[in-house]
Amino acid sequence: MTVLEADARAATEEIFDLRRRLAEAQQAHAEEVRRNQAFSRIAAAIGAHQSLSETVQAVIDGGVELIGAQFGAFFYNVIDRTGESYMLYGLAGAPDEAFANFPMPRKTAIFAPTFEGTGVVRSDDVLADPRYGKNAPNQGMPEGHLPVRSYLAAPVKTADGLVLGGLFFGHREPARFDSRAETVIVGLAAQAAVAIERSRASEAGDRELTERRRAEERLKFALDSGRLGSWELDVETRAYDASDICRSNYGRGPDQDFGFDDLVATIHASDRDRMLAAMDEAIRTGGEYDIEYRVVIPSGETRWVHARGRAAVRDEPLIGGGVRRMAGVSLDVTERKRAEERQRLLLNELNHRVKNTLVTVQSMAAQTLRAASDLPAFREAFEARLIALSQTHNLLTEQNWESASLREIVDAELEAFGGRERLDFDYTRDLRLNPKATVAVGMAVHELATNAAKYGALSTPGGRVAVSWSTEPASPGTSARLRLRWTESGGPPVPPPTRRGFGARLLEKGLAGELSGEVRLAYDQSGLVCAMTLPLAALEP
Amino acid sequence: MKTLAALKVLVVEDEALVSMLVEDMLGDLGCEVVGPAAEIEEALRLAGSAEIDAALLDVNLGGRPIFPVADALKARGVPFAFASGYGEAGLTEPHKGSAVLQKPFREADLRRVLEGLAAQAV
Repeated sequence: MTVLEADARAATEEIFDLRRRLAEAQQAHAEEVRRNQAFSRIAAAIGAHQSLSETVQAVIDGGVELIGAQFGAFFYNVIDRTGESYMLYGLAGAPDEAFANFPMPRKTAIFAPTFEGTGVVRSDDVLADPRYGKNAPNQGMPEGHLPVRSYLAAPVKTADGLVLGGLFFGHREPARFDSRAETVIVGLAAQAAVAIERSRASEAGDRELTERRRAEERLKFALDSGRLGSWELDVETRAYDASDICRSNYGRGPDQDFGFDDLVATIHASDRDRMLAAMDEAIRTGGEYDIEYRVVIPSGETRWVHARGRAAVRDEPLIGGGVRRMAGVSLDVTERKRAEERQRLLLNELNHRVKNTLVTVQSMAAQTLRAASDLPAFREAFEARLIALSQTHNLLTEQNWESASLREIVDAELEAFGGRERLDFDYTRDLRLNPKATVAVGMAVHELATNAAKYGALSTPGGRVAVSWSTEPASPGTSARLRLRWTESGGPPVPPPTRRGFGARLLEKGLAGELSGEVRLAYDQSGLVCAMTLPLAALEP
Repeated sequence: MKTLAALKVLVVEDEALVSMLVEDMLGDLGCEVVGPAAEIEEALRLAGSAEIDAALLDVNLGGRPIFPVADALKARGVPFAFASGYGEAGLTEPHKGSAVLQKPFREADLRRVLEGLAAQAV
């Protein structure tokens, strides 16, 4: 071999070697690029705004890929709503069931540095590691555990040192994880910590938002079903915000302008100063605002509103001598107010009636006493009159004190004197009388019946009474009127009384005067006749 | 200043039994009853022209307030008292302070009120 030949061979080998080294460098570079790309992709996946479990899965999958592990796991602590802490895990390279039957890892010698956050544990063969297999009951991996020889574990810690969990990687062959793998996993753990923290914060935020929405829905439901409107007032700017129901309490639709000035203008002029004073007081002291006032809504109708409120933030300090915001509710209480007013009027009316009835009874007692020959006679006549009066009240009470029927009045007053057996009355027709006429006609019929039973037709077995009536329409000069006629027959002849008793006085003067009509008593041979002519205007309900 | 004897008293009352009681009481006191009127129109007529020294007015006359009659009497200078189950609470503002006979009343109450009216009568 010549020198030339030797030179040529050396040069050729050099070129081969250069080519090989170039190829190696290119391959290493490609490997680096691939790894960097993988790292970027994994970092992006971890950093993507995902749920906690998705973030965890991206971390494990990424770790397995980057260091060529067969198995990857992430055990992490979760605190539930009741404050209980428990452990969850994510897996790669093995199905979820691989750990399903094992208890969660404890702080054994091999695991402690990871769960306590003290450092990375890397072992070329964990089975030969002095920290392995030191703890009861298993003295190493439990039966059925994934076959791990190469072992790499790193804690996942927040910036302020809180351990969130641990990343664990394994391979069934020894010595698979080098220091470069350790560096990669430490970097991954740091990224995971940031992503998990952010994901936890965002999930907590979501939870709080959902919780708030639910609370708001509950409040709205409660307000709606109670027809309660809600409002808020910025005291300084006078910005007033009212719910739809609140607006409707003031006669406004959801889309109509309704500011604080509109509110004040809607309040009844007589109640406005009182409302403003109450609001000022509540703002100044931070105390309760609680008021009922009238509002005149745009349709012109007057309604009653009950408004309540207080400082929007209870513990907000008073600023510049008052609260900054007020919030409260409003309720349409018109129906209740009307009911109260009706009740008040009814009580007044009842009191008036009771007093009037007492005077009536007083009068009956005085009149009866004047005519009575002795106390037993007084008692008998007085009680009978009291019961007659009471019966007219019964009839009126049945009809809400609005009217009573002539037929029922006659029936009620004659019941004690033989009733329908001895009475000729056309029961097919009827006429309704107002309360005053009911009492007057009732008492008149009672006096006639009492007289008939004592001296007239009802004092003998064969005697009868006919009560007939007709109405006459108005004619020029006279108004429409009722003609009511009481005719006795079959009794003893009745001479005119020597002295006018209570009954005759009540009929001829009282009834006639009270009902602006005319009452005539005729003492016929065949029996007493009482003819009443009463204007319908004074009788009708 | 007059005495109760032969005092002419207008009675306005729409309930027969009540006006009968008042008439009897007034009779016992020696007064002369004018009326009784059960209707506003009749009461107004008597208040405006009848020869009267005083008047006793039921506040509510068949659902209509008596106040026009009171005004007519005031214009004529005739002293009057209201008779009412409501007491003074049933009176409208310009008539608050007028003499009121609360129903039911005793003859002595009526006498006291009438003596007050008679003292004002000319």
